[in-house]
Amino acid sequence: MLAKIKSKWTYLAIAALLVFLILVPFDWFLGQYKGLAIFIGISTMVTVGLCLLMGYTGQVSLGQAAFYGLGAYFSAVLSKTYDVNPWLAMLIAAIATGGFAYVIGYPIFRLRGNYLAMATLGLGLIMWILFRQLSQFTGGPDGMAGIPYLSIGSFVFDTSFKRYFLVWFFCLAILLISQNIVQSRTGRALRAIHGSEAAAESIGINVAQFKVKIFVLSAVYASLAGSLFVHHLRFVSPQPFDFLASVKLVVMAVIGGLASVWGAIFGAGTTRILSDELLLSFGEWDIAIYGLILMLVMIFTPEGLFVKLKDVFGRLRLRHSERGAES
Amino acid sequence: MSEVILETRGLTKVFGGLVALDKVDLSTEAGKISAIIGPNGAGKTTLFNLITGVYPASEGEIYFRGTPLRNTPAHKRAELGIVRTFQQVHLFGNMTVLENVMTGQHPRSKYGFLEAALRLPKAHREEEAISLKAMKYLNLVGLGMHAEQDALSLPLGQQKLLAIARALATEPQLLLLDEPGAGLNTLEKQELSDLIRRIREAGTTVLLVEHDMPLVMGLAEWVTVLDSGQKIAEGTAAQIQRDQRVISAYLGEEVE
Repeated sequence: MLAKIKSKWTYLAIAALLVFLILVPFDWFLGQYKGLAIFIGISTMVTVGLCLLMGYTGQVSLGQAAFYGLGAYFSAVLSKTYDVNPWLAMLIAAIATGGFAYVIGYPIFRLRGNYLAMATLGLGLIMWILFRQLSQFTGGPDGMAGIPYLSIGSFVFDTSFKRYFLVWFFCLAILLISQNIVQSRTGRALRAIHGSEAAAESIGINVAQFKVKIFVLSAVYASLAGSLFVHHLRFVSPQPFDFLASVKLVVMAVIGGLASVWGAIFGAGTTRILSDELLLSFGEWDIAIYGLILMLVMIFTPEGLFVKLKDVFGRLRLRHSERGAES
Repeated sequence: MSEVILETRGLTKVFGGLVALDKVDLSTEAGKISAIIGPNGAGKTTLFNLITGVYPASEGEIYFRGTPLRNTPAHKRAELGIVRTFQQVHLFGNMTVLENVMTGQHPRSKYGFLEAALRLPKAHREEEAISLKAMKYLNLVGLGMHAEQDALSLPLGQQKLLAIARALATEPQLLLLDEPGAGLNTLEKQELSDLIRRIREAGTTVLLVEHDMPLVMGLAEWVTVLDSGQKIAEGTAAQIQRDQRVISAYLGEEVE
């Protein structure tokens, strides 16, 4: 009975979210914020991957911005410098970034213990330096401009309004796919690894292989987000892929509730609104604020702010429906 | 003599300079309940860890139905049908009771990432079969009514039953139980004995490590005694209880 109430409300919440998302870019609603909303969608895509990796599987990545950046630069360089069709460039970027994650993940996950955080921390720093130093390809610290728009036939995604729907189409598809994975045999295997690696192995789960797979998937998500990012801005520079970006992504996942796929929208939304609107006047100090948020969330609601809010809402609803049943 | 399901020959494990297990020959008959006993530090859990592939043996070999296991990783051994429980229970605390058991169906189901991501009919069909089977094993251990609870909200006795249900859900041929009776009260131990007999009757071979002598003596048809990493005796419960070496090494004050 409870499960039924729960699923009814979940569908309602998702339907409301969809209607809201469709209305956002219209000028009479939140049209002036559609640029921000595009970035929220892009960040959500990366955050979902981190949720699967950190929240469900228990593997921490401190360098997710490296994969985000790889997707961005592959798309930018291929489509601008080498005239590759942007969609094909996006696909090549995703495959190359996923392959790269596999090459890194395979040896790391054969070791017992949590070495991924260290390795990805290093990876993030190295990639950022490469984006800056390989200037004959990347344009160096100044970046490169003039990246083409994505298009389908003669339909070009040349306005923010069009790109808003493009980005959120990808974002929702990734959310749906992730939600399906979480609620499957694979999702249980991932959560089992988080719960007890010894027990997971003992009942036939190939722990190392699942860790590699989910790491690769999170890298592919980040790469797709990076590709959309450069075809939206038509410009790429190393700055959005530095260490702070990786930290922000972790903050997004943590606020969203690590083990909650839909929480990723909330986490990415809150963090982007903070960083793009509310914290602008703090300048360089904003990193201190993210640190503070990370600490507070971890101390007071380690399961994540979104999950906490959902719980509170659920309890209110339950009380409400109980009262309804009495009268 | 019926078929031997598990055999170890000269099985040895050395940690640093410490010999935890010293040339142990063990042979477990299919379809029986066997037990390994011995004082603390005798090497019982080390033996389980070697059989299930937690770490490799220093020397010697393990055979499962005649096939050597040396190069078989732990998760593959579970697929072959060797599954264990743990002394420290090791439930998945981030799941419900039912989900814990459903996870046990992992090696008996096939659908992967892609089918899951796109929710193909194959995934849906298998999921239904998985949850039905999981419920069956939950009912077998008597936890059916707790299916939707968080796994760690159960008291210890039921947590241990849940761990057994999860292991059963892998449909093992050889079930290794590490101290299943530890921390249980008398009534719970009685229920545990009944459950283990039912598991054997359903065709699964059971090998248990246990401290509780009355439990072992009432249950096991074959007992192997380890002391300081060596096998010092084996036989039926009655034979073991009369064995002078066993009495002096271990049983002395505990039985009669």
